[in-house]
Order: sequence, then C-alpha cells, then structure tokens
Amino acid sequence: MEVFVAQLLNGLSLGSIYVLLVTGFNLMILVARIIQFAYPHIVVLSMYACWEVLKLTNNAFLALLSCIAASVILNILSELIFRRLTNREGVDINVSFVISMGMAMVITDIMSHSLNYGFPITFPAFWVGGSLIRFGLITLSKGQIYALVGSLVTVLIFFYLLYRTKQGRVFRAMAENRYVARLIGIPIVKTSIFSYIIAGLLGGFIAILFSMLLGSASPNLGEFVALKVIAVSIVAGLGNLKGGLVCGLLLGIAEAMAMGYISGSWSNAISFIMMLMIVLIKPQGLFGTQI
Amino acid sequence: MPIVLYYFLAFTAINILMCWTLYLPYRVSQLHFLSVACMAIAAYFGGFAAREWDWPFVLILLVGIGIGAFVAFIPSLAIGKAPCFTVVIVGLTFIFIVKTIIENWELVGGTVGFFGIPPVEHLLPITYLLLIIVGFFIYRIDHSRLGRAASVVFVDKDVAATLGVNVKNLGMFYQIIAGAIGGMTGVLYAFLIGSLFPEFFGFHIIGALMCMLFVGGYTTMWGVVISVPILGGLPLLLPSAVASWRQVIYGVLLILIILFRPEGLISKRMLSTLKRKNKWQTAGNMGKSESRLSKELGKE
Repeated sequence: MEVFVAQLLNGLSLGSIYVLLVTGFNLMILVARIIQFAYPHIVVLSMYACWEVLKLTNNAFLALLSCIAASVILNILSELIFRRLTNREGVDINVSFVISMGMAMVITDIMSHSLNYGFPITFPAFWVGGSLIRFGLITLSKGQIYALVGSLVTVLIFFYLLYRTKQGRVFRAMAENRYVARLIGIPIVKTSIFSYIIAGLLGGFIAILFSMLLGSASPNLGEFVALKVIAVSIVAGLGNLKGGLVCGLLLGIAEAMAMGYISGSWSNAISFIMMLMIVLIKPQGLFGTQI
Repeated sequence: MPIVLYYFLAFTAINILMCWTLYLPYRVSQLHFLSVACMAIAAYFGGFAAREWDWPFVLILLVGIGIGAFVAFIPSLAIGKAPCFTVVIVGLTFIFIVKTIIENWELVGGTVGFFGIPPVEHLLPITYLLLIIVGFFIYRIDHSRLGRAASVVFVDKDVAATLGVNVKNLGMFYQIIAGAIGGMTGVLYAFLIGSLFPEFFGFHIIGALMCMLFVGGYTTMWGVVISVPILGGLPLLLPSAVASWRQVIYGVLLILIILFRPEGLISKRMLSTLKRKNKWQTAGNMGKSESRLSKELGKE
C-alpha cells in the first residue's frame, strides 16, 4: 500500500508537469493553428539556460528569470518562422509539424554538441532540495511539492485567463473560427503572437518546475517528452484543453505505477503501449478533437 | 572498392528506399514513420536468421518483406484514413516500443548491438537492382488509377470520397506497401552493414529521412533520388568538425526549404513543365524537318 501511495504522489507530480506541457501545446494548436512539436525541446533548452546561469552566478532569482526569458524568446523566434506559413493560404497544419520537427532537430543537436559537451546536466542540491516529508516508503521532495503546487496554480491562472478575461474570449473566438474572429475585428496576428508569449511564459514555468522535479536534464529529454506530449494530446483529442488535463495526469500516474512495479526500462514502453492502444481504437481521441 | 565509397553507395540506396517508404503514404497526406519500425524488426530478424539458423539470403529477404507488410497491416486497419498526426504518433510510439524490446532482449544483443551477420556476395549490385525494381513499381503506382486517386486524397479527402475513392483502403494500401519496402530495406541494411544497433532506429534517422524527402520534393518520387546522394554525401565531403553538426544542417535545410520552396527542389509542376517544353521542342524540330522536306520536295 505504501508503494502505491508513494507512486501515486510521484505520478501526480510528474503528471502535473505533463498537464502544463499539453496545455501550452494545445494553446498553440487552438490559437495559432500549428503543431509545435519542438515546444518540449524549447522547455528543455530553457532548463539548460537555467543551469548555465546557476553555474555562473549561483543566483536562483537570475536563474528563474533566465529560464522564463529563454522560453519566451525561443517561442517568439519560432513565431517568426510560423508567421511565414500563416501568410500563405492559411496554415497547413501538416507543414507546421514538419517545420517544428526541423526546429526540434536543431535544438537537440545544439544541446548534444555545445552544452556541457553533450553530457547530461545536474542541478545543484539547493535547487532540487531533499526530502521534506518522510513516512515509511512515502517521501515527498521539495521538487515534487513545487511541481504539484506550481502546476496547480499555473493551470488555475491559465484557465482563469482563458475563461474569465477579455483576452481569453479572444483566444477562444480564434480557436472557434479564425475567419469569423477576423470579421468581428479581432487582430489575428497580434493575438497569435500573444498566444506564443503565453506559451513561452508557460514553458518557462514548466522548465523551472521540471528542473526542480527531475534535478537533471539531457539532450534527448526533449524528444522523449515531445513524444509523450503529442501522444497525450492525441489521446485526449487534439486541442482539447480539459481532455489534456485528465490524460496528462493519468499518464503521469500510469508511468509512476509502471515504474514502481515493473523494471525501469519497460515502464515507459508500457505507457506508450497503452497510448498506442487508445489511439488505434479511438483515433479521434477520448474527448474529441477541437480543431 | 574503397570503404568510404562502399558505405556511401550502401547508405544512398538504403536512404532512397526509406525515403520512398515515407513518400508513398504521404501521397495520401500521412506521415507514416512505422516503416522505420518495420525496417528495425526485419533487420534484426534477418540478422538473427542468417547467423543462428543459416537461412539463405533470398528466403530472408522474402520473409523480411512479409514481416514488414504484416507489421504495417495490423495498425493500418485502424489508421487507414486517420489524420496525419494520429499516423505520426502511432509510428513514433511503435518505434519506441520496438526499440525498448530490442534494448531489453539479450538474444538480439540488447543495447550492445547485434554482430556477426554473414556477408552476401555481390550484395551492392543486388541492392541497386532491387532499388530499380522498387522504383519502377512506385512509378507504375504513381501513373495508375491509384496514383491519381492518391493525388485527389492529398488535396481533399471529402472530394476524393465523393468521386468514389475508398480513402481507407487506399491509405491501407500505401501503408502496407511502405511497410513491405521498409522490411526489405531492413534486411538489406543488416547484410550491407553487418551489425545492428538499436540506437540507429531512432529520431535521428526519421529527421534525416524527413529532410531528404522534403528537400528533394514530396510531390514526386524523383526528388529523393537527387537529395539523398547530396545530403548523404555532404558529411563525407565536409570537414569532420562541420560534419558532426549534420543534424543541425538537416534541420535548418528542412526549415528553409519548407519556407522558401515548399514543394522541394523537384516538384511535379517542374517535371510537367520540363516534359511540356521537351514536347514542344520535339514538335518544333519535327515541324522544321517537315518544312525542310516539303521544301526539298518542292524543289524536285
């Protein structure tokens, strides 16, 4: 029972990070109409930026700022590339996926060549923190608590923005019908850029929480997480924010349970097999696509 | 033959075949990475059957094609007319699962790799012969009713359905053919290189193949015939310090080509313009020779 509870807590903290990633990913699908496969890669690169600043200055505040700045800047840079696609006959979502794969290749190779000589990075102990609560096999680390609370707060703020503010209504209008949104006077390009900035901010927070939770990162982490994020997004239904919430958490819990009861290397395969089965049985996703 | 030239020729053939496995399902707007998983399964099967069971090469090749087709067939029942991203995620997760199984299976070498695959005589010429046969097969598909139906599906699935095209069956057909070619390529790869590593069948190969396909041009099968030798040969020509950045080069090229020349270096439109020009020139030359003949006849 203790193993179960411990793994459930692990799964919830990991799942909350997946929820944030899927939310940022879905926001760009809905508002900008692009599949940003490189979004998790940008998050991992922001983790690297945070690590570099920590290494140079040992200042946590600067590290936090650098993490968010890196994520926002990279997202805005990617917007410049995607805008060229948008200016043509609308956006071809397939082409946006191919371009983002190119971005992912570039980011991964830069991380595996230039940053820390391609070796995995480890965050300092004060950043990650030790175990705060210990009860038999159940331990809660500082990183886990930050991940859980931080994700919850971020998701609440995001959903407040989306469903309770004027800007949120603009986002939803664009997600519903881009052309009608333009007809009623919504600035399409400006709103699209704003969605990239929001996704960038979200990416920065994810990078901070992820670094605190994992305590390390490697160049291949982006590919690995990207695969999970896009799989969760499809399992939930492409662009379905609420579905992403549920499926992200479920993936985290399933992965942690598999890790607790099955050999480590097989645990990821198990979660992938589960997702593969769902996609094969229900290709439109469990909660239905929103695009 | 110098070893560098051998590897260049071997990888050129392998990459062209694998690019065609992506090109075929993309005709119906599906990015089908499952063929990489088919390649991996067939390669390991081929290596194992040759080393442990002493099976002849031809038999392994045929079974490899069958394995590839079968592996592609099962998911195609569900994703025959699924949207592009569903097909992408099925392919990527399948690759990950196959890789995990290989890495954890001691019998096929695990993460260490699989070695000692016996060489086959004259395999390089055989590979190129198979490449020509596959190329001819794809050319015939492209110029048949199936090819024309695929072109309509690529533009609009609903229109294709109203024209009587069975979108699901067509998608399944292209996925199975791609899987079969992937299986064949896997067996050829195992025998050409002689050793197998699970790391090879990962995101890097997908990225490189995508770059080759889109830079060459995804609207025609000839694009990859031009792009693969150039992009594959690039790391051999560049200094090693630059060549080690080839994933960055591929990624940047992929982005640039999509932004500035979305249909790739060789497009269908370009080929038909060339064909038309050629036809006019031939007609013009024929016209000239006819008028010359009539003049000569008039003189007589």
